[in-house]
Amino acid sequence: MIKEAINYLSSPLFSFTAFIILFALAMKRIDIVGTKKFGWGLLIFVLVVFVWMVSDPVFFTIISLPDNVPIIILNGLVFWSTWYALYRGHQNDLRIEAGEGPIEGTPENREKVWAWPNLVYTELFAGILCTIFLIVWAIFLKAPLEEPANPTWAPNPAKAPWYFLGLQEMLVYFDPWMAGVVLPGLILVGLIAIPFIDVNPKGNGYYTFKERKFAITGFLFGWLALWVFLIQVGTFLRGPNWTFYGPFEYWDAHKVVAENNINLSEIIWIKMLNMGLPKNIFVREIFGLIATFGYMFGTIPLITKKWGQSYLERMGAIRYYIMLALILGMMSLPIKMYLRWFFDLKYILAMPEFELNL
Amino acid sequence: MKREPGMAYDTNVLNKIFAVISVCFLLVVIWMVFDDYIRPWKAVQVKALDIEKQKTQEKIKEIEGSIDSEKLKEVKANIVAAEKEIEGRKAELDKLNEEKAEIQRKIYVQNMVNGVNGSQAAAYQFKYEHALVEKHFDDAKKLKVTFQDYKKKEIEGKDNLKGLQASEGKVDEKIKQLVASRTEAERQLKELMGSRDLLLQAMTLTEKTPIWAMRNAPFIDYLDPTIKIRQYVVQNVTDDRYFQHVPKIDRCTTCHVFIDKAGYEDQENPYKTHPKVDSLAVGVNSAHPVKEFGCTSCHGGVGDRVNDFNSPAHIPQNEEQAKVWKEKYHWHEPHKVPQPMLPLQYTEGMCIKCHKDEERIPMAEKLNHGRELVENYGCYACHKIEGWQHLEKPGPALSKVTSKVLSKDWIKNWIWAPQAFNPESRMPQFFDQPNNSAPEFRARNQAEVNAMAEYIVKSNTSYKPIQKFAGGNSANGKDLIQTIGCVGCHTVEGLDEQWNKVGQKAGPYLTGLGSKVDPDWLVSWLKQPSHYDPTTIMPSFRLTDKEANDIASYLLSFKNEQFASLKFPELDPKVRDQILIEDYFSAFETIEAAKAKLSKLSEDERTMELGRRSINKYGCYSCHNIPGFEGDLPQIGPELTKEGSKPVEQFGFGQQTHVPHTRHGWLTQHLKSPRIWDVGVPKQFKDLNKMPNFYLNDQEVESMVLVLLGQVADRIPLAGQRRLSAGEKQYQEGMKVANKYNCYGCHKIDGVGGALSEAFEDQNYGPPYLTRQGFRTQTDWLFDFLQNVHPIRPYVKVRMPTFPFKHSELNKLVSGFQGGANQVTFEENPKIEWEPGEKAAAQRIWEEMACATCHTLGFNSDAPQAPDLHYAKKRLRGEWMESWIANPQSYLPYTSMPAFWDDGEGKLYPAVDGVLDNDPKRQIRAVRKLIQEFGYDTKPKPFPENK
Repeated sequence: MIKEAINYLSSPLFSFTAFIILFALAMKRIDIVGTKKFGWGLLIFVLVVFVWMVSDPVFFTIISLPDNVPIIILNGLVFWSTWYALYRGHQNDLRIEAGEGPIEGTPENREKVWAWPNLVYTELFAGILCTIFLIVWAIFLKAPLEEPANPTWAPNPAKAPWYFLGLQEMLVYFDPWMAGVVLPGLILVGLIAIPFIDVNPKGNGYYTFKERKFAITGFLFGWLALWVFLIQVGTFLRGPNWTFYGPFEYWDAHKVVAENNINLSEIIWIKMLNMGLPKNIFVREIFGLIATFGYMFGTIPLITKKWGQSYLERMGAIRYYIMLALILGMMSLPIKMYLRWFFDLKYILAMPEFELNL
Repeated sequence: MKREPGMAYDTNVLNKIFAVISVCFLLVVIWMVFDDYIRPWKAVQVKALDIEKQKTQEKIKEIEGSIDSEKLKEVKANIVAAEKEIEGRKAELDKLNEEKAEIQRKIYVQNMVNGVNGSQAAAYQFKYEHALVEKHFDDAKKLKVTFQDYKKKEIEGKDNLKGLQASEGKVDEKIKQLVASRTEAERQLKELMGSRDLLLQAMTLTEKTPIWAMRNAPFIDYLDPTIKIRQYVVQNVTDDRYFQHVPKIDRCTTCHVFIDKAGYEDQENPYKTHPKVDSLAVGVNSAHPVKEFGCTSCHGGVGDRVNDFNSPAHIPQNEEQAKVWKEKYHWHEPHKVPQPMLPLQYTEGMCIKCHKDEERIPMAEKLNHGRELVENYGCYACHKIEGWQHLEKPGPALSKVTSKVLSKDWIKNWIWAPQAFNPESRMPQFFDQPNNSAPEFRARNQAEVNAMAEYIVKSNTSYKPIQKFAGGNSANGKDLIQTIGCVGCHTVEGLDEQWNKVGQKAGPYLTGLGSKVDPDWLVSWLKQPSHYDPTTIMPSFRLTDKEANDIASYLLSFKNEQFASLKFPELDPKVRDQILIEDYFSAFETIEAAKAKLSKLSEDERTMELGRRSINKYGCYSCHNIPGFEGDLPQIGPELTKEGSKPVEQFGFGQQTHVPHTRHGWLTQHLKSPRIWDVGVPKQFKDLNKMPNFYLNDQEVESMVLVLLGQVADRIPLAGQRRLSAGEKQYQEGMKVANKYNCYGCHKIDGVGGALSEAFEDQNYGPPYLTRQGFRTQTDWLFDFLQNVHPIRPYVKVRMPTFPFKHSELNKLVSGFQGGANQVTFEENPKIEWEPGEKAAAQRIWEEMACATCHTLGFNSDAPQAPDLHYAKKRLRGEWMESWIANPQSYLPYTSMPAFWDDGEGKLYPAVDGVLDNDPKRQIRAVRKLIQEFGYDTKPKPFPENK
């Protein structure tokens, strides 16, 4: 019963929404999240739930695939490092509020030490320990060497390497050209651009949350919700034919899902206006064009007026607009996901004639 | 904590940490090496050494036990005595040895000198010839002199060498004579102990010595290990790597170490010897040596994987074995392996992939049986199977059936459930199955059956029987059925166990005929089957009117009252119309248009339309000739040519979770109850699975699954396939005909078939074995005999029937026998030329052997026990006659013809003393000549034929 409920609730619509809400709450109540009590509590809760889930044979089969073990490790590390940064940031924020300055700024923490042996030696330790870990891992989990490739008998599901599964999940919502080229390109460009866009000197050399609230929230949203979370979905919740399966659901390759997605042009011209599609593709796609351009350009003055004025002043026009373009690009992913879930929307702009589908 | 300025940590502590983790690192690396080094198959090979050692020890013990200890003592004493004797000639021997050493020294020197001279001569020859080419004639002259000088020295040297070698030989001979007694004693010792010493030597190879350990130690075991992966690369059988076909690599012998060595039959797997090591496979002298054929060519599985027990995709035979394997080897179903190992009971299926053109494959009994079943049940009629297309429709023609069966109701009830009338029927059941027994489906099925019967009856042409049933003696009829050979094809209700045990299925099981057929039809059919159905394989037994009536009266005496009293529900016009509209007329049109179309048809036309459509739907035409369904119609079932390679994922298991998810699991279930896949699956009437139920027993299912599993898609290179010679091809074509007419049912043809023959207590009174028939009889005699059967053994009651062979079939059959025996088509009329005295000798042999005691015909008036020899001249090949006389039992093991010239050990021996120089071959030849000389040039009068 509980398992069936979880199966149902872990469909992307519910789980993604829940994740975003939890994420927003976490960012809002950093005073709770950034405490040790919360950290321990969450850890214990997650462990208990995890152990309970692992006791299910289907779930265990899925997570114990050699390919999926790194994802479990990734989850632990992400959990730890995110919480730790928030915790340290919160500590410092409290100190700064009290006028004590960040903990990294105290005199005993400002003392300088030699790179050798303090840094280099310990790095060597880390290197050796890491190698030991990798060897032991390789002994226990042999690299899965599979059958010779057979073009007439492809594996099902055919999955990308684990670190690309978020990208593969994006293919559900976007044209391959968008999900495979444009959005990953934007991610790379955006990550490279961060140091040039972010001119806020605060937080250099010490943890803080309050002083970099927007930067941290924005980055964590992209990283946790749009990348790590999608990897979880792609790894654990997508089975044969890339169909959604709950964590306790057997991966039956015959599962059939009715998914009839339609384009925006079809929704408006046929469903709402009750007429055929216009012959001229620009007339046909006029709503998609308006929506796209409206989103990419029309929203800019609105956003600027509502939230962006101070950023614009602080960052300068070029940095500000580049940042805005990147954020809009990033946000197009969750927006498209919701449009798909709510309206079965296939493409906002469908111009296969130009290989342009958005 | 002691901290120096500029230091975050205590260096000593850091050093300690470094030490600890470095040691950990080292240990982990060692662990890694051992993890890589330790492989399950190594343990197997180490244990194999122990087993081999033990076996060798046992053998040594056995041999030592058989050595005559007295003799050993004597031989050892001889050696001692010889040593003593030689001791006395020591001075002489020493001198000779010295002499020999001196000669050997000289030979050595001479060899060196000869080498120098020879190479100089060759070099100067080249220089001289080169000078000539360059036209340096002066130099050439000088060079020629030098060349000739060297050449002369070389020749002299060689001559000298021969002299030296000769004198060495002489000295050797002297020494040999001096030590002769010892040499002889040693030879005797070796003879006595040789095989034991060899075994002892072999045993040293099984010892685990330090050198053995070193050769197999980690890191150095790449040099020359003894524990290693053993593999066969099979060039002529390839594996499909999807982009390329590569030679098969089988490493099975890495663990199955003794598979090719006889003597390990008592061991557990993997140490066991192959059970057919010398006959079928693996052994060097078997039909399929492992070096040429590998293992997985026949067994399936992934031969190049030896990681662990699971990696080569071992498959257990049954649940019990699976359980044992799970406990012992952690066995699990293989993943993503297109061709896992075939469970042992199905291995014979793989023969088909290389033996494509053979009708019967030697040593593959189960496969042959399976193919017989596929043929009998007519799987090939609905499913295309490559290699089976030449076969004709397995069911009887229905174009005149109304004059054969008693009533229309009988036809309907038969179509509905044939097994209810004849439990052995090969006609499968389409209706009342798990997927169509719901009331609404039943009603539709009944409408279909009604319509089909109507169609068959209406489209029938009338047939007038040639004879009227006049009643007869049924006891006599039973006797005839049992004696003349009916049971070579049929099993018949009420016969004695001995005769029904023959169990042939080429013809139907004859039961309840009294409730089925028209008596006049039956008599006419028995008299001349081809009059009713020109395509039938049922032969004429040349029955007299009385015989036919007797047999008919026996067969008609069996009635199936229960079946005969069944009333089939009347046709429901509403259901009929509903099917026509929903399933057929509205396929491409709207329901309205379909209704309009229907309304244009009369009642009768509607029934006929549904009848025609239903016959099409169920594929009745695949097995039966039905008027209106002539010509090349599509085969109704899916093609089975590559069934054995169909991915398991492509089999629909429906809701049947209890069926094992394997190819053989699905096929087994499918043959047992094909409709089960629809159970629990909501389907419309027209989409129901239509594969009928044959009610096969487990053994039949297993044999047929075996055949289907063998239908793999593997591309075998030509060199790997069994390729037939021209004669063998002819033979196989001929045997296809023999198979069609079920010659195998009565005769054992080259070791195959002969169930009827073997049912006779004295096989001399049954149908004869046909062993190398083409070598035995002359081609034109056989050709004529099969058309105009004439008596050969008048004392035999079983009849060779007259078959309705087509001309082409007759030719194939006769030339098949001839080609299979590598014989010329026409045997020359023998010219008898006697050597002096030979004829008299022949007559003497004839008298002494008393040939006419059995071969009485034409010689005396006693009852004959053997064929009339006067007709042998035209019937038999002369060469065969000699071979037969020499050893008749090699052709017919049961024959009462004595092997006069056989000495009991397979060698010829003169049967009559003092004749023809006691040369058995000449004696036999003389008898052959005699028989041919008095032979007639005419053929015997054939039996009168029913026309």
